[in-house]
Amino acid sequence: MKAYAVPTAVAASFLVKWCIGLGSYSGQGTPPMYGDYEAQRHWMELTIHLPPRKWYTYDLQYWGLDYPPLTAYVSWICGQVGALVNPAWVALDSSRGIETPESKLFMRSTVMFFDTLIYVPALYYFIKTWQDSRSSRTQHVALLILLLQPALLLIDNGHFQYNSVMLGLTLFALSSFAKGQDLVGAAFFVLSLGFKQMALYYAPAIGTYLLGKCIYLGPVHGTRLFVRLAAVTTLTFALLFAPFLPPFAPVSGILDPLSRIFPFNRGLFEDKVANFWCLTNVAIKWKQLFAGREHILVRASAAFTILGFAPAVAGLAWGAYKTRLSLVAAESAPAVQQEKEKEEGRGGGSVLADKRTQTALLPLLPYALLTSAMSFFLFSFQVHEKTILLPLMPLMLLLSGASHGGEVWAWGVLGANVGAFSMWPLLKRDGLGMEYMATLAIWNRLVGFSPLSPKLDSFVGILSFAAHTGMFALHFLELIFAAPARYPDLFPVLNVLLSAPVFGLIWIWSIKRGIQVGWALGGLGPSAISTPSNSVGGGGGGSVGGDIDGMPGQTSPVIGSLRRDAGVRTTSMSSTMGRTERKRRTSTRAESVGL
Amino acid sequence: MSENDKLPQPSQLPSDKSIWWSLSRSEIDLLVIATAFKALLFSAYRSTDFEVHRNWLAITYSLPISQWYYDTTSEWTLDYPPFFALFEKIMSIPAALVDENIVKVNNLNYDAWSVIAFQRTSVILTEVALGVALLRFTRAPSATSQQRTLAASLFFHPGFLIIDHVHFQYNGFMFGLLVYSIFMAHEGRKLASGVFFAILLNFKHIYMYLAPAYFVWLLRAYCMTPSGAIQPKNFVVLANAVIAIFLVSLGPFILMGQLPQLLSRLFPFTRGLNHAYWAPNAWALLTVADRVLLQVVRSAKLSVSLNHMGVASTSRGLVGDTVFAVVPNIKPSYTFVITVALQALFLIKLWRLPSYRSFVTALTLCGYVSFMFGWHVHEKAILLVLVPLSLVASESYAHFRTFVIASVSGIFSLFPLLFTPTEAGVELLYTLMWGVALIPIHRQLYQFPTSAPTVILEVVENAYLAGFIFLQVFVTLFPIFTRGTSLEFLPLMITSVYCALGQVLAFLRLSALYLQQVAEQA
Repeated sequence: MKAYAVPTAVAASFLVKWCIGLGSYSGQGTPPMYGDYEAQRHWMELTIHLPPRKWYTYDLQYWGLDYPPLTAYVSWICGQVGALVNPAWVALDSSRGIETPESKLFMRSTVMFFDTLIYVPALYYFIKTWQDSRSSRTQHVALLILLLQPALLLIDNGHFQYNSVMLGLTLFALSSFAKGQDLVGAAFFVLSLGFKQMALYYAPAIGTYLLGKCIYLGPVHGTRLFVRLAAVTTLTFALLFAPFLPPFAPVSGILDPLSRIFPFNRGLFEDKVANFWCLTNVAIKWKQLFAGREHILVRASAAFTILGFAPAVAGLAWGAYKTRLSLVAAESAPAVQQEKEKEEGRGGGSVLADKRTQTALLPLLPYALLTSAMSFFLFSFQVHEKTILLPLMPLMLLLSGASHGGEVWAWGVLGANVGAFSMWPLLKRDGLGMEYMATLAIWNRLVGFSPLSPKLDSFVGILSFAAHTGMFALHFLELIFAAPARYPDLFPVLNVLLSAPVFGLIWIWSIKRGIQVGWALGGLGPSAISTPSNSVGGGGGGSVGGDIDGMPGQTSPVIGSLRRDAGVRTTSMSSTMGRTERKRRTSTRAESVGL
Repeated sequence: MSENDKLPQPSQLPSDKSIWWSLSRSEIDLLVIATAFKALLFSAYRSTDFEVHRNWLAITYSLPISQWYYDTTSEWTLDYPPFFALFEKIMSIPAALVDENIVKVNNLNYDAWSVIAFQRTSVILTEVALGVALLRFTRAPSATSQQRTLAASLFFHPGFLIIDHVHFQYNGFMFGLLVYSIFMAHEGRKLASGVFFAILLNFKHIYMYLAPAYFVWLLRAYCMTPSGAIQPKNFVVLANAVIAIFLVSLGPFILMGQLPQLLSRLFPFTRGLNHAYWAPNAWALLTVADRVLLQVVRSAKLSVSLNHMGVASTSRGLVGDTVFAVVPNIKPSYTFVITVALQALFLIKLWRLPSYRSFVTALTLCGYVSFMFGWHVHEKAILLVLVPLSLVASESYAHFRTFVIASVSGIFSLFPLLFTPTEAGVELLYTLMWGVALIPIHRQLYQFPTSAPTVILEVVENAYLAGFIFLQVFVTLFPIFTRGTSLEFLPLMITSVYCALGQVLAFLRLSALYLQQVAEQA
């Protein structure tokens, strides 16, 4: 059955996504503006009929393009295919609001196509690189959990967007980092940014990770990597924006897309979003309070956001500095060095030592991504409820590598369920209530979570019980009672009051976990650094995914690391040999990348 | 998630002592996931059968019982037996609470979200009957792991997904009654088996296809001792039970003098040999043979007397009554004689060997004969064959192979029911995944062919099964290139004929297996 497992999992997720697509989409049957579905369709029409220079300026009042160029290029491809089948679907201007069953099938197919082309392989590649040492059965379960994450399915295949493309490109970047292919990873991340600017939520974590890697590699190799990263990043951006840059356009041409992509002239928030601003707005009416002085709010939100992701950035930088320091200490300690050389049977120079330690910072990265993205979601301005998908992605990666019933698992399940719940007002408006219930039921059965049998032995257990009870209660109340005329927004506000605190706690938890994991990295000492994949193995048997989860929540990480530290020193000859083998493999991989 | 959570633990497996309806964790997982998946199909395409059933809800709720079989407000008049009308009447009460517009007789083609959600939910809930019946099979102490898997696979059968959850009917509920009746036979409770079947007949009369097997088996195995002595008490008990059931069902209408009207609704003898889309049976092959012969006659300019109505009929495509050009026309009486004669062949064997296994096989063959040679057979009737066949499919590799051929061609023949591209993708992918779940059984039962004819047969069968890939590609691509031409019927015709070949093969295989089985025992 093993040979069928992955294709069947992918087919099952495809089937579920396809069936969600049977339902309605955002703005269905609501002229004159419709919704996100019409926006995406309109961009196809726009890009195939107009030269690139007009893409960001054409009739901006009707869904003007406000995503970076890669979205526009993807729209162009879809538009060309659509025009080939039926030009009426994407005819300039005259196709506005087209809602035939065939055009809907075509639009749904484009989402499925790019999802299957980018996101599904990205998940598979992630499992293969980050969780390679887990049993194949565990990997298949992890893949299925990631494939069927309800919030993303509902937004992409129900509401209608292409978030999986952006998330898939970021995932490819993460897997490349895990392979030590930092330049490829950087290029992928720029592509992700070039598809949707929301990927900026990840930028602090990814940028610091790469900088940390440079610090970690030392002055010579670090600087070399830094220069290469800068070159690759700049080049990728330049290629993406080429039609808006000289010689294809005047210098000012770049301003059109930029001003569309970063609209600084909108309000602090729209609608009801489960973030800090909307939550506190219940007590403090920010908009009235700062009427006419909105720039203060913008600055405050920027400052809060930076403070919010600062722990992640600091953690990564500190981790890099710390591991670098211990590496220097290791090299200057001749006894340890000699021991190592004996083990390996070859003279391990410092360059070799550098190269084989490429994944030392890696376990920190998912937590840093979570902290950073959640901080943007909670504190930055102009946040949509859909952007919860960005913090959810690293949380789901952590969940997929976690053992059932543990702390990480519990936070992951809570985050996914509250994440979907926070989008309920939107999904309800789209007519996706049944799809919402069905996908949540399927996914929760898959991860093995039942709100009916709560575990109240930990903080997250109690929080999860309270949150799930609250969600059920709110759904029930909304079903039974209509909102009073005085408070038409009662239920969306109650939704925010429940979701935002949970997201805040997930943000705090991610910082705490980041510190724990970072501490373990720094506190392991030289021998641990030479065997990074074994150092925090726990039950995970050396996989990175296992490492993350293998950090025991109950036991102090320091004690754990001490125990493991001792374990490394007293390993038998045969296991040392085995480990040396693995180290060799890692180093060859690093060399082949050509760091 | 750790490895252990997904593997069934010894303690999770139902022990012999636990009650049969206590579900293991993985069974609940399957149930929840399958139900949620069916809920995703709420928005899918639905056929006119949806409005048929809505109309019946309205008729039974709003009109007195004396009007049920007379009302013609909608063209979709009530044409199921009284128990089904009662079933609709019971469901119409919650329906009226959900939305009273559902049960208004004049509210034709009502398609608000409330009625869609209500009727779709009612299909999912009443399908529990099938789940219960199959669960009892999986809990039988004698059941092998293959039998358990096959029983579970019936609950997730693509046929039910296509016909009930998308197209819209209540087959899951009614096959639940049938499977429960067969389970009673399995347990040796023959009277209960007969009673359940009599009740089922009063829900939907198409199960009459299977009635001869029940009749012969009950007469031989229940009303007689194994040695052949008649047991008058059993006979009287059975007869009284069946008569009582029919009296409860038909009694009110007999009293009102409406029996002729009721029967004219149940048996409209005004239809043609083939359904609009030919079911994959013998008549589909004969129809296509007639067309081929017509071409031969025309091109060779043979002096064969042609039926000119038939010549006109063949050029008209698929709709309406089938009139042959070369082959003699088939009258209802012919189909009746052929059906009875072939069924008699199997029933004589059943009389000689009235065991449970023999009964289920004979039941399947009875259904098969009716499907292959019946008048105006609908392609959905293939479920009458596939469901009992699943219950004997793990007897041997030959049985399983018969099951595979019958299932592949039978399910494929249902695909045209969902002609919208989106739903066509759903049914195809779902069927593939369902098939993958049955692959382990194939591995466990597989036997290498031992003689030259069986080797050739296996190669031919494999080629036939592989042909479905090309058939699917053809029916997908053909309409794209021939949009707006008169050839639109061609994919349907080829599907029907290709599936009919598989059905003939499976029918012959099962007949041979059954007759051999009898020979061995005798």
